[in-house]
Amino acid sequence: MLGQYLPVVVLLILAFLFAALSFVASRLLAPRRPHDRKAAPYECGIIPGRETPERFPVRFFLVAMIFIVFDIEIVFLYPWAVAHGGLGLFGLVAVLLFSLAVFESFVYLIGNGALEWGPVRRVRHAVSPARTSTSTIRRAGVREVGLEGRTIGDESGRAA
Amino acid sequence: MLAVATPEVLWWALLPVLFLSVGGLLLLTVASLVRRLPDWLPQAWTVVTGLAVLVACVPMWCEVRDEGPRTTLAGSVAVDGSTVLVTAVLAAVVVAVALLARPYLRREDLPGVEVYVLLMLSAAGGVVMASADDLIVLFLGLEILSIAVYVLAALHLRRIESQEGAMKYFVLGAFASAFLLYGMALVYGATGSTRLALVAEHLSATVLVDDSMLLAGIALLLVGLAFKVAAVPFHAWTPDVYQGSPTPVVAWMAAGVKAAGFAAMVRVLVTSLGTHASDWAPPVGVLAVASVLVGAVVAVLQTDVRRMLAYSSVAHAGFLLLGVQAADADGTAAVYAYLVVYALLATGSFAVLTVMGGDGDAAHHLDDYRGLARRRPVLAGAFTLLLLGQAGVPFTGGFVAKLGVLAAAVADRGYWVAGLAMLGAAAAAFVYLRILVSMYLEDPDAEAADGSTGPAVPLGARVVIGVACAGVLFVGLVPGPLLDLARDAVPVLVGS
Repeated sequence: MLGQYLPVVVLLILAFLFAALSFVASRLLAPRRPHDRKAAPYECGIIPGRETPERFPVRFFLVAMIFIVFDIEIVFLYPWAVAHGGLGLFGLVAVLLFSLAVFESFVYLIGNGALEWGPVRRVRHAVSPARTSTSTIRRAGVREVGLEGRTIGDESGRAA
Repeated sequence: MLAVATPEVLWWALLPVLFLSVGGLLLLTVASLVRRLPDWLPQAWTVVTGLAVLVACVPMWCEVRDEGPRTTLAGSVAVDGSTVLVTAVLAAVVVAVALLARPYLRREDLPGVEVYVLLMLSAAGGVVMASADDLIVLFLGLEILSIAVYVLAALHLRRIESQEGAMKYFVLGAFASAFLLYGMALVYGATGSTRLALVAEHLSATVLVDDSMLLAGIALLLVGLAFKVAAVPFHAWTPDVYQGSPTPVVAWMAAGVKAAGFAAMVRVLVTSLGTHASDWAPPVGVLAVASVLVGAVVAVLQTDVRRMLAYSSVAHAGFLLLGVQAADADGTAAVYAYLVVYALLATGSFAVLTVMGGDGDAAHHLDDYRGLARRRPVLAGAFTLLLLGQAGVPFTGGFVAKLGVLAAAVADRGYWVAGLAMLGAAAAAFVYLRILVSMYLEDPDAEAADGSTGPAVPLGARVVIGVACAGVLFVGLVPGPLLDLARDAVPVLVGS
């Protein structure tokens, strides 16, 4: 029975060998002339002019979530469409109920402004007034996040 | 094309799940479409839904008692006493949490619909889990329950602890789900079915020559379930999550999630895999003792009341496991009685904590309880009763519950297990005493002393704390009805 897994094992060994041999060959054959720009992360020949990490609007995530909503619906609709003849009325009702429940999440997203790309609307509850764009970012060694309900540096009561 | 056989559906048996899930979805839809919902509506809707489920449980209970247990949806959902009892417990906790949530949300200035929706959906998952007669359905229920709770844990948008706790809970929870699923796959591999009745039938009819796959499956199932109920050594998430999450949500985690988890555990281990009790009972016993001892001892070291109660909930999980490892009808009945009592104790205690939290849900240090008896004698008195109940003092429900599981363990000749658990109970009593000493014997802080009378107790919290205290006292003084109920609730497998 385990013999069925032989191809997988062979493939695993081949993949490992290929990776190992590639490294060895590159070490042996490639000329090595390192310099600063080449050693930089994300090397592309141009020196980055400013800091790359940038915050981008949460709306993009919401669009991704809307995509997932419909993705899941499609994933389940295909098998039903293939077998709907056999499933009959029971299957139709079940799939309708399922679609309703899935579509509900879409309604919720729209109702909460997931597709409103107009001027920025402040969500009332999300951010406390004490928070600014500088205080939200966690700097190395300094805890400045979530200032509510805790004085900075107060770690008492958290000893496990 | 072959016509697929559609399963028989006992609609009345599915009413609780239908109420809770449809209730949640309807509320979410209405809240999405209507711009300005009246403030009271989501809470009232949730309370009505929870009460409707409670009411629906009464005819279900009578039906099951008169006509006997049965199974529906092609043998994947059990309709027996266990289903109905746990459903009722979950519905009652939903009502309690909804009552606590509204004043909390207003105090913390948090958006007000999602909590109720997620709570109802989570409860629907819990009901599915408690009534699962099939491992796949069990997993579905567990995921519906857990995913909603992960989000609920993160619901306090502005507290970093809330986000942190939710993240830990989510990552560890997903990990545990994978264990559970792998265990189910192995059990399926060893027995050829995911239906609990067929698994039991297979195991009683055949002798496995090599049962290593089954044992590995049971072990992995045990890991997954022990994580959900927060048993040592799978408890690491508990203190952080209990400390970070919104306090009403913690009440649901402690009472609701634990009840559903133990209902599922009992059904899988005791009823379905009962033939192999000699294999799984000793490890469960070890988990039980470890949970009781670690929970009690580490709780003593805490200074945050929420973390104390988190560790004490770990200890309670240990006591519940004590009933599970007995692996017989008495042990199971003791587990159910314990679950009911613990639901009362946990909801009541966390209701007190919700009130005490103050603005920002931060005042949970032991010092914040100093002199509470002088500032708020009634609240302090109620908390005293609930803590004594958790400690298992006679004439409270906690005593009846602890006595039940210990008696079941002793009857099963688990003298060592029971003895060590009693030792743990004594250590745990010290934890509750510490809070009591703080409330009664110490003077309030200087700032708290000048005129302020402590936090206001909203009506919803009053009702919850009052009912919890009354329930704990009633069970402590008249334990008969609960014990009878628990004995009738022992799950039964209905074959094919």
